[in-house]
Amino acid sequence: MTQSLRSYGLMLKWQALSKKPILALTLVVQVMIATGFIFGLGFFYREITPDTAKFITTGAPTIILMTVGLVLVPQIVAMARTEGTFDYIWSLPIPRLVYVAADATIWVLIALPGLVLALVIGAIRYNFGLEISPLVIPAVLLISATGMFLGYSIAHGAPRPEMANLATQVIVFAIMLFSPVMYPIEQLPDWMAAIHRVLPVKYMADLSRGTLTDMDVNLGLAFGVVGAWCLAGFIITYALVQRRR
Amino acid sequence: MAIVQMKNDSQSSAVLQVYNVCKEYVKGVLVNDNISLSLQEGEIFGLLGPNGAGKTTLVNQIIGLVKPDSGRITLDGVDVIAKPGYARQACSLQAQTQVPITGLTTRQAIELVGRVRGGDARRVRERARELISQLEMEEWANKAAESFSGGMRRLVAFCMAVVVPGRIVILDEPTNDVDPLRRRLLWQQVRALIGMGSTVLLVTHNVLEAERAVDRLAIVDQGKVVGMGTPGSLKENGNENMRLELTLEPRVDAPALPEFIQSTVFTGRRLVARLAERDIAPAMQWARSLKEDGVVEEFSIGPTTLEDVYVKMVGRADAQELPENEVNHDTVAS
Repeated sequence: MTQSLRSYGLMLKWQALSKKPILALTLVVQVMIATGFIFGLGFFYREITPDTAKFITTGAPTIILMTVGLVLVPQIVAMARTEGTFDYIWSLPIPRLVYVAADATIWVLIALPGLVLALVIGAIRYNFGLEISPLVIPAVLLISATGMFLGYSIAHGAPRPEMANLATQVIVFAIMLFSPVMYPIEQLPDWMAAIHRVLPVKYMADLSRGTLTDMDVNLGLAFGVVGAWCLAGFIITYALVQRRR
Repeated sequence: MAIVQMKNDSQSSAVLQVYNVCKEYVKGVLVNDNISLSLQEGEIFGLLGPNGAGKTTLVNQIIGLVKPDSGRITLDGVDVIAKPGYARQACSLQAQTQVPITGLTTRQAIELVGRVRGGDARRVRERARELISQLEMEEWANKAAESFSGGMRRLVAFCMAVVVPGRIVILDEPTNDVDPLRRRLLWQQVRALIGMGSTVLLVTHNVLEAERAVDRLAIVDQGKVVGMGTPGSLKENGNENMRLELTLEPRVDAPALPEFIQSTVFTGRRLVARLAERDIAPAMQWARSLKEDGVVEEFSIGPTTLEDVYVKMVGRADAQELPENEVNHDTVAS
């Protein structure tokens, strides 16, 4: 355990340093996406009530974390697969999941400023209050971990790295337009709503809404479903990174 | 030949033993075809072969990135196919692929790997300083590695592999793109690893470097071990341990070859052949008469080199030192 923690610390340093050349740009882009997301809402609706704004703004953490986990991470991993750098990383005497954990930590840290900013700007711009529960910490961690594990599963599971890139394009499109994050699930056709009662995206949004506002959300169910997806993503990621060709 | 070698080796202190390893990625194409070899404690063992011979695949199986279809690999007697984690602890690798050093300086990259490999912070710092100094890389020590040339990146990768060397240090083409002066410094460091208690597995297609650097080697071609031993023993194989090299005058037809000339390879205007010591005098006479007749521009006779053995065993002239556009007249004798 001590050895794993030591390795985690070292890999965290390695990953942080390796992101340094793109860190500033990535942070700026994340903040731009987050703030752009909030202000962009105004163009969708002729009039936006504080309740609607609260609903949409509190979906932002899910959108941001899923974009990082399911788009950015698979793209970076696909690039590393193409360059063959995993052959080197996997030859090091560290548990492979420790590397994944360190990588995921850095990405969450990069995503956090934009996420917080989106909530703050949304609350000020649309004039609603946030009621932050301590459960927001496990909720954000669970959403992040689920996104990362699913992202890693796609990135390492795709037969070819380019296919992972393509998959991320489809996923981001589906999350932005066809997921009940920006609008209530009732607005979807029944069959699509049925799918989203199994997929984790709606429940991720519920987690952020239930821990950031006074909205009536079944948090237990949300933790349960997202937790199950997180576990599935973890098992698949574990199997894929342990796999030998 | 490989099996005979294994029997001899098992009597001494073998660190790594590879038994009859087979691997195919595509059905019917064996990348490793029944490979057996062993590394003795404290030696530099070369794995020599042309591109695509299956060298890196074998390394990847030793380190646990690739699983053999059949065969056994043991390290200190431990089955590393069952316990790949043991191989990763015991081996330090300079992979042929890129190392992830973007964003890191030379010093940071070396020190981080040293710490990851379990090294004490102070000793790792000291060792990194020593390597940077001995490979004359001080100018690059604190510069961001992503801007480095290919050769400098290889040197950083080499230092990362040897900062806290494993029981076995695996170097896959360590000198590619490295300048000739630093190559010499690098080979000194490889030799120093033996003094530190490591055994070195050197993977290369550079015959000249292998001849100078290794204690023993295996020549691999199309997934098979086609020869194994010390460079000297491989060169002494058979009676023809001398080489004749002659360069024809431009636009001159190749002369008829006398019987004592064996294993002839034409590379453009250059002819390389093997001959027995007893045939040196008639060969000299033959070559001299060709020169006098204006058929040959120049010639030389000397001891066989590993390159000659390699070309004969591999059966085609794609050793790095030979020109790529040569016309091979298919004259390699068996």
